[in-house]
Amino acid sequence: MKMKSPVSYILPLLMIILLMTAACRKDLPQLNEPQDYVSANFNEVFDAFWTGMNNNYVFWDIDTVDWDRVHRTYKPLFAQLNINDSNDVRKAYTYFKQMTAGLVDSHYNIDFADTWLADSNSVNPAYQRKRASAGYHPRISIFHFYDTIPRHYLSAGRRGFTNTPDGRQYVAVSGTINQNILYLYFSGFNLKTLFNTDTMNGVKRVEQYFFDNLAQRNDLKGIIIDVRGNGGGSLDDLNFLLGKMVTQPVHFGYTRSKLGNGRLDYTPWAPAYVTPQTGAKAITVPIVMLADAWSVSMAEITTMAVKALPNGHFVGERTWGANGPLTGNKFYNGGQFGTGWLNLVYTSSLVFKYIDGNVYEGVGFSPDRAVPYNPAALRAGRDLQLEAALSLIR
Amino acid sequence: MKKQLLLFATFFLLTHTVRAQFEIGVSGGYVNNYVHTNAGYRAFTQYHQYSGFTAGLVLQYRFNDWLAIQADPSYIRKSYELRRDHFFDGIYQYNLNGYLQLPLMAHFSFGGQKLRGFVNAGGYGAYWISGRVKGAMANVFSSNPDVPDDEQTSDFFRYNTAYHYDEKYTFDSRRDRRMEWGLVAGGGVEYLLHKRFRFFAEARYYYSLTDQQKNYMINQVPRYNDTYVLQAGCLFNLRHLFHGDAE
Repeated sequence: MKMKSPVSYILPLLMIILLMTAACRKDLPQLNEPQDYVSANFNEVFDAFWTGMNNNYVFWDIDTVDWDRVHRTYKPLFAQLNINDSNDVRKAYTYFKQMTAGLVDSHYNIDFADTWLADSNSVNPAYQRKRASAGYHPRISIFHFYDTIPRHYLSAGRRGFTNTPDGRQYVAVSGTINQNILYLYFSGFNLKTLFNTDTMNGVKRVEQYFFDNLAQRNDLKGIIIDVRGNGGGSLDDLNFLLGKMVTQPVHFGYTRSKLGNGRLDYTPWAPAYVTPQTGAKAITVPIVMLADAWSVSMAEITTMAVKALPNGHFVGERTWGANGPLTGNKFYNGGQFGTGWLNLVYTSSLVFKYIDGNVYEGVGFSPDRAVPYNPAALRAGRDLQLEAALSLIR
Repeated sequence: MKKQLLLFATFFLLTHTVRAQFEIGVSGGYVNNYVHTNAGYRAFTQYHQYSGFTAGLVLQYRFNDWLAIQADPSYIRKSYELRRDHFFDGIYQYNLNGYLQLPLMAHFSFGGQKLRGFVNAGGYGAYWISGRVKGAMANVFSSNPDVPDDEQTSDFFRYNTAYHYDEKYTFDSRRDRRMEWGLVAGGGVEYLLHKRFRFFAEARYYYSLTDQQKNYMINQVPRYNDTYVLQAGCLFNLRHLFHGDAE
């Protein structure tokens, strides 16, 4: 009998190997949108939230929370809870607080839909950390800006407030100090919208004063923009405000967003600019930002943008540390989301990196001249941070 | 003395092998790579295949007239595209990935003396040596002029200016798995010219068994390369090239 050559076995052998190894690919998991989970039990509630965070959260690159460990630890704990038992709902609230306590995103906030939690605060890890920190202090009272500063420091000026239909109140003050230093305070970033209203309002009047002085006066020695206690707001205000003071684009940082589903799937870094606006005037005198630990988001971004100017300064305290811009999650494929049981998980849509290459999320931006909060001086009608800003200009 | 003997033995073996059945050549061709993955619930986002090229050497050792083993050390582009549509039309990214690849295959041929058909089957290892990302995204800090009240917007870039980029891909050691293993199969025709040259054209399929990402997160969506190649090349029979056509 003729022996078969060993090579004749190669082809069948290869075919067998091919068939065996073809099954070696992992399955593609089905990813459902967090809002599509049915919140009929806490298994679903946990999966909806965990999935949203797993794919939408933009800070996994720098965050130190082990999100896989969160899954391993809390999934079984949630599985034991009954969504129709108020005690278990309270326990779930505590778990949410524990799971998110270390998240670096300082915009982060969970708002619950469950009526049993209507009297509970939203979960805000950055706020909880700050409350527990040694240097914690309350916000400077709005009356300090509205009454004390105009009375003790401004030689002329305007002040006003506007209540918007969504229940917010915006306060603004502008004036001159020693006749030739232009000062502007505003409590939130909604300047462009309030300025472009058909009817006059308190904040618009203040803005008009500030812009008129900026455009018409050539004897200004300096400008102070006060964003202490400012909780942030519209991105459009960056160009609307600073774009009137520069005639060349100012590169001050970068942003990136998610692109794929993976925790580390990002777009490249896109440069962030302040873009000059029509009728802009090149301001060469010092521009000083006054910011404090309660300056959040756009207040920080504006401070960083001014610091990138050759004539820019920052006086006050380290800012809050919430720098990532926010939009709807469909725009940049990441960020905030809701589930049936959570009204909103409020989280940044993009990561912001300052021009020095550092991400200040969760850290805060440091002043080049630190002046701490001084409650005794404030009670006495003195503003040491404002005085430090003035001494930089004089 | 020992060294000289060793050198002589090596030289003898090599030349003997060359005389016997070794062929060497070059090949190159068109690549179409598809990344086997999904975009999950990302709004209006899909992955698409993308074109590339390959170029390399062909090393073939013939056992007899119908069986050989073949190794093709080569450079190959296994790229893919991620694109958004509808309101987000214009947002895309090409991931242009370069690999150094070594397929090792059994080469079965059949047919006449001059014109023969062949089938290749085996496995490959590839190392992801370089990457480039090229695309366009909306830049949140580059706002366009406001949309007038009586106008409607047709695309996202009406709000934020597009940021076009074309930059080197930065590998992330936490995520990127740079070694790829897989299976390869192909088939084609070859034409023998003067016993010295063998021209061939081949269609080939590379089936990756390795996720492009390390296993770094629960519920990870894997990404596998499926690579289709149309290539052509030429093999030189060293025995006939250096020693004439005489048997």
